[in-house]
Amino acid sequence: MNVLSCSINTLKGLYDISGVEVGQHFYWQIGGFQVHGQVLITSWVVIAILLGSATIAVRNPQTIPTGGQNFFEYVLEFIRDVSKTQIGEEYGPWVPFIGTMFLFIFVSNWSGALLPWKIIQLPHGELAAPTNDINTTVALALLTSVAYFYAGLTKRGLGYFGKYIQPTPILLPINILEDFTKPLSLSFRLFGNILADELVVVVLVSLVPLVVPIPVMLLGLFTSGIQALIFATLAAAYIGESMEGHH
Amino acid sequence: MKNVTDSFVSLGHWPSAGSFGFNTDILATNPINLSVVLGVLIFFGKGVLSDLLDNRKQRILNTIRNSEELRGGAIEQLEKARSRLRKVETEAEQFRVNGYSEIEREKLNLINSTYKTLEQLENYKNETIQFEQQRAINQVRQRVFQQALRGALGTLNSCLNNELHLRTISANIGMLGTMKEITD
Repeated sequence: MNVLSCSINTLKGLYDISGVEVGQHFYWQIGGFQVHGQVLITSWVVIAILLGSATIAVRNPQTIPTGGQNFFEYVLEFIRDVSKTQIGEEYGPWVPFIGTMFLFIFVSNWSGALLPWKIIQLPHGELAAPTNDINTTVALALLTSVAYFYAGLTKRGLGYFGKYIQPTPILLPINILEDFTKPLSLSFRLFGNILADELVVVVLVSLVPLVVPIPVMLLGLFTSGIQALIFATLAAAYIGESMEGHH
Repeated sequence: MKNVTDSFVSLGHWPSAGSFGFNTDILATNPINLSVVLGVLIFFGKGVLSDLLDNRKQRILNTIRNSEELRGGAIEQLEKARSRLRKVETEAEQFRVNGYSEIEREKLNLINSTYKTLEQLENYKNETIQFEQQRAINQVRQRVFQQALRGALGTLNSCLNNELHLRTISANIGMLGTMKEITD
C-alpha cells in the first residue's frame, strides 16, 4: 500500500514536471464569487510598484527635473503625446485614463517577464503577470468600452447614437456589432499575447533551462511593451472616435 | 501530510499542492535567465534611457534659460520704457508750467501795451481837441480883430477931418509940452 501510494506520488510528481500548468487557479471565495487569488496578488504588487514609484518620484519636485522625476515626467509626456495624437484637441481629461491603462498593463507585462514570480509557491496555480488572466484583460476592455460610451454621450448627448447609421443605415448591424467586438478584440489580443509569451518561455525553460529561453524572453519583453502601447493607443482611438462629430 | 512528505522525499523539489512556500529549484524558477535578461535590459536600456533623459533635461534647461533671457529683456525694456515715460512726464509738466507762465506774462504784456496805447490815444485826442479849440479861438479872435480893425478904419475914414486933425495935434503938442515940463 505504501509502495503504491509512493509510486502514485512519483507519477504525480512526474506529471507535474511534464505538465505545464494552464488553467490552474488559486481560488479565493469572496462573497458569492470565486476570484483568482494569484491575479489579485500580482495586481496588488503592480499597483504597489506604480504608486510607490510615483510617490517617490513626486515627493520632492524640482523646477529642473532630475533622475526619477525626469523619468516620470518623460513617461507622462509620452502618454500625453499618445492621447493627443489619438483623441485630438480635447485630450486633457482622458490622459489619466489612458495613462492608467498604459502603465498598469505595461508594468503588469514586464513584471511577468522580469520578476521571478515562480520562487513563491502557491497552493494552486502560480503567480504570473495579471494580464495573463482573461478576467483582467476583459475588465480593462470593458472599462474602455464604458469610457468611450461616456465620452461620446457627454460630448454629443443623444446625438452620439447617430453614428450608428453613419454613413448609411444599412451599416447599423455592423456598427452595433462593433461595440461588442471592440472590447472582445482588445481583451483577447492582450490576453493571448501575454499568455503565449509566458507559455513559450515556460515550455522552453522546461525543455532547455538555460540560455535558449533568453532570446524568447527578450522578444517577450518587446511584445509586452508593444501590447501595452497598443491597448492604450486603441483605447484612446476609440474614445477619440466616439468624440469626433461626423460633420 | 505523509503524502506530501513522501513526494518531497521522492522528488525533492516538487511539492504538488498545499500551502504557500518557496520554490528552491533554480532551473524551474528560472532566476539565471531572468537575471541575464535583466542585465541585457539594463545594459542596453540604460544608455538609451539616460540619453533620452539627458536630452529632455537639456531641453528643459534651454527652455528655462531662454525664457529667463526673454524675461530679463522684457524687464529691461519695461524699465527703459518706464524711465522714458517718467522723463516725458516731467517734460510735459515743465512745458505746462512754462506755458502757463508764458501765457500769464503775455497776457500782462498785452494788457499793459493796450493800456499804454489807450493812454496815448487819449492824450492824442486831448491834444487834438485842445489844438482845435486853440485854432478855433484864434480864428474867432482874428475875425473879431479884423472886424474891429475894419470898424475902426471905417470910423476913422468917416470921422477924420481937418478940425479933428488939428485938435488932436494940438492936444498931443500940449501933452508933449506938459511931459517936457514934468521932465525938466
